[in-house]
Amino acid sequence: MRKKARFPGIYLGIILALMYVPILLVIIYSFNESRISSVWSGFSLRWYRDLFRDKDMLEALINSLVLATVSSLSAAVIGTLAAVGMPRVKLRGKSVVEYISTLPIMIPEIILGMVFLVYFSLIRLPFGMITLTVAHTSFCIPYIYMLVKARLVGIDKSYAEAAKDLGANEWNVFWDITLPLILPAIASGVLLSFAMSLDDVVISVFVTGVNTNTLPIRIYTQLKTGVTPKINALSTLMFAATLLIIMLSTWFGRKTTLSVKRRNT
Amino acid sequence: MKKTAIAVLVLFLFASLLAGCAKKEAQPQLNLFTWEGMFPQEVLEAFTKETGIVINYSNFDFNETMLAKLEAAKGRDYDLVIADDYIIETVISRGLAQKLDKSKISNFGNINPIYQGQFYDPKDEYTVPYGAGVQTIVYNDDAVDIDIKGYADLWDPSLADTLGIIANHRVINGMALKVLGESYNTEDLDTIRRAGQKLLELAPNIRIIKDDNLQDDLLSGEIDVAVMYTSQVTMAKLANPDLKVVFPTEGIGFGIMANFIPSNAPNPDAAHKFIDFILRPEISAQCFEWLGYYCTNKAADDLIADEYKDFLTLPEDFTGDMEMIRSVSADAEEVHTEVWTEFKAACGQS
Repeated sequence: MRKKARFPGIYLGIILALMYVPILLVIIYSFNESRISSVWSGFSLRWYRDLFRDKDMLEALINSLVLATVSSLSAAVIGTLAAVGMPRVKLRGKSVVEYISTLPIMIPEIILGMVFLVYFSLIRLPFGMITLTVAHTSFCIPYIYMLVKARLVGIDKSYAEAAKDLGANEWNVFWDITLPLILPAIASGVLLSFAMSLDDVVISVFVTGVNTNTLPIRIYTQLKTGVTPKINALSTLMFAATLLIIMLSTWFGRKTTLSVKRRNT
Repeated sequence: MKKTAIAVLVLFLFASLLAGCAKKEAQPQLNLFTWEGMFPQEVLEAFTKETGIVINYSNFDFNETMLAKLEAAKGRDYDLVIADDYIIETVISRGLAQKLDKSKISNFGNINPIYQGQFYDPKDEYTVPYGAGVQTIVYNDDAVDIDIKGYADLWDPSLADTLGIIANHRVINGMALKVLGESYNTEDLDTIRRAGQKLLELAPNIRIIKDDNLQDDLLSGEIDVAVMYTSQVTMAKLANPDLKVVFPTEGIGFGIMANFIPSNAPNPDAAHKFIDFILRPEISAQCFEWLGYYCTNKAADDLIADEYKDFLTLPEDFTGDMEMIRSVSADAEEVHTEVWTEFKAACGQS
């Protein structure tokens, strides 16, 4: 029995190492004195100091966070409305519309970027935060739409029918029955969209303007001159922040379940 | 509870949209468009401090992206662009650049004439060079028995399996062309094929072919000799000053980056001021030490620190024996690709 149990452990170890050693290296090398990533030349906080002096970099980070938040939430509203509303629409070309709605994630990003560039300059929308938000929202919508649609299929129609039977109007049904049931799908869609928006380079570089820069663009366009460990420092801080948020949300989650349990007993 | 959550979300949405739109507008602006990391932070800050002009630094990833954005904006939006030579040729031919007003650039005379009058701007009307890259040979003297003087020495059998090269087919094929005494940009297909044959003889010496971080392999001792880009040479030399840098005797091929002002730039005055500012010898020296590309400012050569000198400035006896790698006809390009594929296969790389 013992022999058999060893294999899963080894497997898990390899997978975990593959996934997390690179992250660990990024963190370690953010404290490296040298500019070259292959040589360890001593502990230093100089890249963190550089990072905090670089106002443009911090501005780009803020831009990226704002952009990801705004576009994932806008996409959540539009995508949810579409998923909930679509079954009620009686339209000749409905299946075509449904098919087209997932197109933004099927088309290669580079083409989408070019198309946005041409389109925005055609309608003379000034390039900047607005164009970025529109573009990001449009490629985030399909994620939410598909997740919510899948979730809706799994919900028993009788809940809504029972509510209507007891006198609830459409709005009440949506607000009190449907929305709470699909909320997990919306939440995971928003998280997915947030991540997609936060690391998008290809589309952003086409639709960004003179004044706005996002973090991924700044990092990616450093390839010409060489990426400095400043990026490692920034990644480490972002990693720490993410970890903190996850820990806090688990902690809060546990607290609420506990209090609910206590109330029930 | 639910309602408050939603109210907070909506508020946040509006607040963040506003934050995104509200921008510094009152001060004079300079919209700089180039790769990230082209200037040290101090230089940008000093410029703003001296002139009061706020720099909006935005980035593109590839030259081609820059061209697409410039065409979509019809030469508006951006005040100053720094890009590679070959794309500037296209930019100028499509009328997307404006002629420089040299009366506003008092330091124009500081430019090293070797980098002027190039194919993309033969009369120096549109551009001011900012940094040049050259593919140089760098080697670890302790591990190599021979004295490397030029490309031809790389074929030496004693270098078996110790050589790392960049993955740019025009540069590497060009190396073989140069050894044969031909031009980088020859259109003669047979000559290119002959270079291909010559290149196959080099295959046993090749250990690594790759573009990024080749300097790391040289530093770690994985390879002893490398043919690589200037910025990589800089990083390698800073980490290990004992490495030897060679100007191949066969002649060298430069790539030049240059400034130009788009045809309908909103703030051309600010752009001229910035060009003039970075042409000052002391500012230039600071920029090139940071950037790690060849110094294109003659007046700054003397100010570059000694530890950087032998790989950021041209040697004293340099006679201008150089040739730029330019686009060739589709036929020639096809043979180049063929030759390169065959060579990589011979090196055991796909």
